[in-house]
Amino acid sequence: MAVSLEALPELESEAVSQARRHKQLIGLGVFAVLAVVAVVVHHEVPSWLDMNVQKWAQDRYRWTVIHRQSAPIFNRFFNPLADSLRWSVRHTVTLLDNLRWPGVVAITAAIGWRTGGLRVALAGGAAMAGVGVIANWDHAMITLAIMAVSVIIALVLGIPLGIWAARSDRAERVIRILLDTAQVMPIFVYFSPTQVFFGIGFPGAVVVTVIYALPPAVRLTSHGLRNVPTVINEVGESFGTTKWQQLTKVQLPVARKAILLGLNQVIMMAFAIVVLAALLGTGDLGQDVLTALQKQNLGAAAAAGGAIVLLAVALDRVSTGERSTRRSQWSKSLPTVSRQVGTWLAISAVVLVVLASHALDWSRFPSWLTYDIGKPVEHVRRWIEDHLRHTTNGISDFLVTNVLDPIRSLLLWLPWFFVVVAIAFTGWLSRGWRLAAGVGACMLLIAAMGTIPGGNGRVQLWDLAMDTLSQVLVAITLSMLVALPLGMWAGRSDRVEKILRPFLDIAQVMPAFVYLIPVVILFHVGRAAGVIACVIYAVPPCSRLTTLGMREVPYTPREAAISFGATPRQEMRRVQLPLAKKAILLGINQTLLMVLATVIIASLVGAGALGIVAYEATTKPLSKLGQGVAGGVSIVLLAIVLDRITQAWGTTKQRGDS
Amino acid sequence: MTSMRNKRHLLVASAMIAAVLAACGSSGSTSPATNPPVTTTADTSAASTTSAGTDTTAATGSAASLTDCKTPSGDHVKFAANPWTGSEVNAQLAKAIIECKIGTPVDIVEIDENATWVGMDDGSLDGVLEVWPSGHAADHATYVDQKKSVVDLGRLGPSAQIGWYIPQYVLDAHPQLKTWEGFKDPALAKLFSTAESGAKGQFLMGDPSYVTYDEQIIANLKLPLKYVVAGSEAALLTAMDSAVKDQKPILLQFWQPHWKWSQGLKFARVALPDVTDACKASAKAANGGYACDYPIDELYKAANAKLETKNPAVFNLIKKMALTTDQQNQVAGYIDGDKMAAPDAAKKWLDANGAVWGAWLG
Repeated sequence: MAVSLEALPELESEAVSQARRHKQLIGLGVFAVLAVVAVVVHHEVPSWLDMNVQKWAQDRYRWTVIHRQSAPIFNRFFNPLADSLRWSVRHTVTLLDNLRWPGVVAITAAIGWRTGGLRVALAGGAAMAGVGVIANWDHAMITLAIMAVSVIIALVLGIPLGIWAARSDRAERVIRILLDTAQVMPIFVYFSPTQVFFGIGFPGAVVVTVIYALPPAVRLTSHGLRNVPTVINEVGESFGTTKWQQLTKVQLPVARKAILLGLNQVIMMAFAIVVLAALLGTGDLGQDVLTALQKQNLGAAAAAGGAIVLLAVALDRVSTGERSTRRSQWSKSLPTVSRQVGTWLAISAVVLVVLASHALDWSRFPSWLTYDIGKPVEHVRRWIEDHLRHTTNGISDFLVTNVLDPIRSLLLWLPWFFVVVAIAFTGWLSRGWRLAAGVGACMLLIAAMGTIPGGNGRVQLWDLAMDTLSQVLVAITLSMLVALPLGMWAGRSDRVEKILRPFLDIAQVMPAFVYLIPVVILFHVGRAAGVIACVIYAVPPCSRLTTLGMREVPYTPREAAISFGATPRQEMRRVQLPLAKKAILLGINQTLLMVLATVIIASLVGAGALGIVAYEATTKPLSKLGQGVAGGVSIVLLAIVLDRITQAWGTTKQRGDS
Repeated sequence: MTSMRNKRHLLVASAMIAAVLAACGSSGSTSPATNPPVTTTADTSAASTTSAGTDTTAATGSAASLTDCKTPSGDHVKFAANPWTGSEVNAQLAKAIIECKIGTPVDIVEIDENATWVGMDDGSLDGVLEVWPSGHAADHATYVDQKKSVVDLGRLGPSAQIGWYIPQYVLDAHPQLKTWEGFKDPALAKLFSTAESGAKGQFLMGDPSYVTYDEQIIANLKLPLKYVVAGSEAALLTAMDSAVKDQKPILLQFWQPHWKWSQGLKFARVALPDVTDACKASAKAANGGYACDYPIDELYKAANAKLETKNPAVFNLIKKMALTTDQQNQVAGYIDGDKMAAPDAAKKWLDANGAVWGAWLG
């Protein structure tokens, strides 16, 4: 199964055109024959194809459950590891408690001041204080401690992995598949195994968070190092640096920007998963969200969810020192101090604040500073119920009956092997034989995942995969329809970007659990609600990368176009967009990964299909973990197929441009 | 480049100095009562003292009261509270009694019901006071019967009933829907259709963690219904609210007790074929022949097997602990209806019902 799916070198474009046409005819012929075979053989997936993945996973899980106290690997490895994780989180909580809330706010602001100036200091400090205003401060500190430990571990593991991936192509190929799996595999699939290996509470919570948040740290480190210009490397070598010096003194500093973006994404991903980690009994903000949801208390859920967003924003802004390059006129006019003096000032300020809050016994966040956002949120909910719901309900019914149903019916009506052949054919058209073989093999593997019980018979996982595929295709299309125009608009106007940014942050980090209720009010229970949940989650990265791409286009060609008399519209369409194509395609690629990663959340509002199969791995692990693994693997395989095909489009088109 | 490195070093140094100062300052000026844990995490450290409270000197037979309390000390005991009010009620009642009368500190850990079993298995949780058997047959078979790491402490008292429910206004308009046979009529079933279910009626199931035979029941009774999984209890309840608001038909799996009933919910249970032993057995058959109503769930208590030696007094108390459905609902009403904090609600009930819980101490 280990078919490598990496880029094929530029063979076709250099081949003689006649030989190429010849090859194309052969290819078409092969696929035509395969298609005929597909129509003639069984419409259903044959049972001999079942690879028994479900039984294998289920047996391993059962064995672990029975032997987790006696097997030496637990006593020597997992238990000590879990203990040290628990120790770290617990002591971080104690530390944060002893800093007192003014101290935590002050440290946030101080770090922000040193990394990005006054604006960042104010933004970071205000966001941190805002956490206490709208939610339970003590719970927030537990969340902060879990996040801090997880983010540090993710960086400690991720940056070396990224360096390794940057140095060896083979390592990168293997790591990339692992990262795709970590990013898309529904957390519910590895939730129960994590509990069994690391126990409940903090250790389990840290482990699931690290798995989920690791990929961007590796990807962006590797990306940054690979993009270090060769000239710089050669200069370093000519000075006779050792390999280690070359890495630490030359390459890592040059790749700093990409690594910082990695840090930002690690933080965002980690916070996006807080609520799920709370299922393990962490007693933090995520727990508050779950408790509120249980009572349908949308206001309380939004307050805790909002605090999670604020924490993420505070951490992100001060750690990456973002916006430091765009200082306002106002902050420029302030007197500047030297770095050393500034740092000492910051330290003394923090120490003073901590001492003062101890002296004054400011241990709890003062209640007169708190504000209950529950009431306004409930107000909005009622307004939605009374005024908006009937329109959106209509849209949702239309989406199900006229869009989702026909696509699903088509995919289910087609013979299964025909779908495999069609997807392999798409791969061949996009890149060539290797891609065709790779994506075809992935689809075959999905077919080999077996059946699950349903009604009074058994259902092919393949059929559920086609159901999920139909929803994913619709969600990707809708996400792009929303995100691309938004991203382009923000790419041409600073003001739009500024207004959009907090909304994108909220959409990315606000726990999906908080908007489950509004989504169901607006779109009923079902696949439409699921599609909308995916869209909310997938729009931010796509829109951000589009904006980034538009902004990275150098000004010279744009100016040239305008001086030749192009209208702004023409200039955008003919110059800026084509030049931003690479980033936009990366955005589309991220969209589909995000959509597939959200399939599991969609299943919480009635999307069913593979998502619910994966969810059941958590809810009934002793009987259904195997099914869940099969469902989760199918989701990952779908993601890999869609990812590799769209990436192929990106690179071939780029080749055509140059 | 150097200045940047300096800056980083200083940042780290500043954070550390502040931290050290904070840690030093705390020992002097904090009173121990500044951070009373209401609910705790699964990782709260247990005090390392080895003496567990072992004497039970409470009055037996006569009414007990929460006066003359001991000061809790020794190893903490951890009870799981799963995310519904009844579970919280039991844990709070047990905590108040144990801390006062036995003198063992109790932590209540809010946790998912499936993770509860893993926690009880390895001892990071000592017990749970309310398990709904229908959803945990596999856990019982594995942890209690096979591995013996968890012990079943017998019935708590309240029983629960899962079933098919429709709004009262639908039943009033179509009295045939009182039993499942009413749903055989495609025209009546179609009342419940949605975009998801197409021409058939929609049957809505909530959180997939709960036990469900609905798909089998629908198939075996040959009803023109489509089984749709809402995926979460929040989604199920929201769908319920929307239907009631529009006075539209909805058919769903629901249960008693549930806090929603105290909000004036008017839903009627649809009668399914009677539960028989043969029917119950058929649920395990390969193709799922289940075609009757849900059996009554007798809620039970469970504990980590080592609790009996670790703290016999606590073990015996929760073994004897028993409530009626009404008693549990009464406390739940204080919390959900009167919006009391859970520990206060527990205290209020314990103060008025000393005779009931006095018997648990003997």
